[in-house]
Amino acid sequence: MRLHKILTIAKRDYIATVRTKAFVFGLVVAPVLFGGGSIAMTFFKGQPDLKDRRVAIVDHTGVVAGPLVSAAREKNDREIFGKITHQQIAPRYVFEVIAPAANSKDQLLELSDRVRRKQLAAFLEIGKDALLPPDPAEDSPARISYYTNAGGIDEMRNWLNGPINDGVRLARLAQLGIDIDSHKGLTASVSIEGLSLLERDEKTGEVHKARKRSELEGFFVPFAVAMILAMIVMVGSAPMLQNVTQDKSQRIVETLLGAATPFELMTGKVLGSVGVSVTSSVLYVLAGTFAVNALGVAGLLPLSIIPWFYVYLLADVVMLSAFAAALGACCSTPQDAQNLAMVLLMPCLIPMFMLVTILRQSNGALATVMSLIPPFTPILMLLRQAMPDGVPAWQPWVGLVGVLVFAAATVWAASRIFRLAILMQGKPPRLAEMLRWAMKR
Amino acid sequence: MDAVRISHVTRTFGSVTAVDDLSLTVPQGSIYGFIGPNGSGKTTTMRMIVNIFYPDRGEIRLFGDGRPETSTDLIGYLPEERGLYQKMTVQALLEFYGELRSGRGVKTEVARWLQRLDLAGRASDKVETLSRGMTQKVQFIATVIPEPKLLLLDEPFSGLDPVSAEAIRAAILDLRRHGVTVILSTHDMHLAETLCDYIFMIFRGRKVLDGTIGSIQDRYGEDTIRVTVNGGLAAVQQLPGVEQIRDLGQVQELRLTRGADPQEVLRALVAQAQVTSFSLTKPSLHDIFMRIAGPAAEEANHAAA
Repeated sequence: MRLHKILTIAKRDYIATVRTKAFVFGLVVAPVLFGGGSIAMTFFKGQPDLKDRRVAIVDHTGVVAGPLVSAAREKNDREIFGKITHQQIAPRYVFEVIAPAANSKDQLLELSDRVRRKQLAAFLEIGKDALLPPDPAEDSPARISYYTNAGGIDEMRNWLNGPINDGVRLARLAQLGIDIDSHKGLTASVSIEGLSLLERDEKTGEVHKARKRSELEGFFVPFAVAMILAMIVMVGSAPMLQNVTQDKSQRIVETLLGAATPFELMTGKVLGSVGVSVTSSVLYVLAGTFAVNALGVAGLLPLSIIPWFYVYLLADVVMLSAFAAALGACCSTPQDAQNLAMVLLMPCLIPMFMLVTILRQSNGALATVMSLIPPFTPILMLLRQAMPDGVPAWQPWVGLVGVLVFAAATVWAASRIFRLAILMQGKPPRLAEMLRWAMKR
Repeated sequence: MDAVRISHVTRTFGSVTAVDDLSLTVPQGSIYGFIGPNGSGKTTTMRMIVNIFYPDRGEIRLFGDGRPETSTDLIGYLPEERGLYQKMTVQALLEFYGELRSGRGVKTEVARWLQRLDLAGRASDKVETLSRGMTQKVQFIATVIPEPKLLLLDEPFSGLDPVSAEAIRAAILDLRRHGVTVILSTHDMHLAETLCDYIFMIFRGRKVLDGTIGSIQDRYGEDTIRVTVNGGLAAVQQLPGVEQIRDLGQVQELRLTRGADPQEVLRALVAQAQVTSFSLTKPSLHDIFMRIAGPAAEEANHAAA
């Protein structure tokens, strides 16, 4: 094995990849796609429909509608205008209280027609039993009905839950003869604060106060770290499939094989991929550091996982790039490569489908087993390591040994498949045939 | 010292034997022409010399005891199916191939070769903007940078216009003058006859001819008459002692049956046509090729089988 050949091939592939528009585009687009379009969501959230939301209330109790109208008025005064721009940023909630008619069905039908004619956004019927405590034996406990033809997420309905329940509770208390005006805040909600565990300082013996824990720490940070890893691995290793297929279909590869062995050629290409991944990782890590500092959440980032991040990143890119090179060598046309792209991305996609499950129970049996399966270890183990409760100390090391052994085996098998397949034309071989080539002496 | 020594090499692909018990010696500093029909084993032999394929049996040694796997830096290989990175500039591409083979910078050699093959003005252009002829010249330069000791050229002249072909031919002869051994495969028998010191013909994986053009022709003797007659092909029919006629247009080649007397043929020819030229020669390489691998030989082989 001659190092200068490997480095020359790696350098050419690296420069050719990072200079492509696809790489630059991928650097920008991948975070948007992987972030679930959150940027787009934020943008569209800032462009709400400012038309008044008019809702009719038919209140059979006669006491709930009043507090509801007051609550809507307070919300309108408080939230619909921007504090800095003083421009309207949210729609006004307008309630129209209607006395219950003798024929309830006709009244509800007429209100339904008004909704259909877009005169109302919805109407609310507060049943006469709404103030009674719920009866456990009753099948349908709903005593308040909300009628609308609006689809998707209805913010009005979500908001109504709070004021209606407040109104009902206050009415119940009034029925018991409690003077509500002198007991303000009686129905106010109490928030629950998430805290970390207490720790004793080993040097001073002092017990540190528990830190505040936010949703960011428990969910967003591990999720983002795992996503960034998956993204960089995919951006770095996926082009290899097209790259090798292109070298083969454009008849470049035989000229290269005249100067380097198949193993040198494949190793050079894999090294080029590693270079691409390190480049994009440095850019993402710098951007991420800037972002967490700007958001003031830098303290939430567990710095101890950064070395693990890079170790897993390099091993994963080597593993996937070698696999991609072997698959690419088996393809004769770009179409063949496209068909195999999903197979290549499986080691990244399967862990990503499992992220939420593992975030819920990061030290459960499923999470532990899945994160010790080598192709999934880099993303899943890192995700678990980034969680506040972490993982048992032995698991990352066992995972790492598995990943390194598996990566070495992948490179070895891929180089054998690569050597036999790179000059073959025609239909791509079946998986069984590829495995036979890998084992062939 | 021999540049290449192939000893009893066999290579199979599944049930097909591409090269069968081949032995061949290529002297250093010579130009060796590989000829044979398509699929006869020329490219497989070249790929084994350059270590892309490994022989199933037998061995190949380069420049004494060198093994192909340790000698690739000594070889410049131009495959028959050749492509170049289209998005690279000519300069960057040639430097890449030069560095890949030698591990050092090759700027000076690149400049010299681009100048020599009239491509200096295109150094900073992308490969995709070149014409086919220019691309082939760039491919040739990529093969000879840095100067190899052994050059393997698979169909180097295919698709080249006469001017480009002449430039490549001159470059090959110049490299040979500098001690480079050249192995080239070709379907152009005239080119093989005029350019190569030695000819090796492979047919169905087996060696059928090997030697200088003179020694090969000697094996067949002076059994060919070249004539020019008024009336062309129609005037040379029905001659005694002639087993095959090859019409070259203005000239007809007559192959004599074994033991036939050329004087008898001349007399018969003069009796039936006006002869403007008559020469007794050895068979051309093309004729020999056709005798071995042409349709008549195929039929004879089939009948014998």
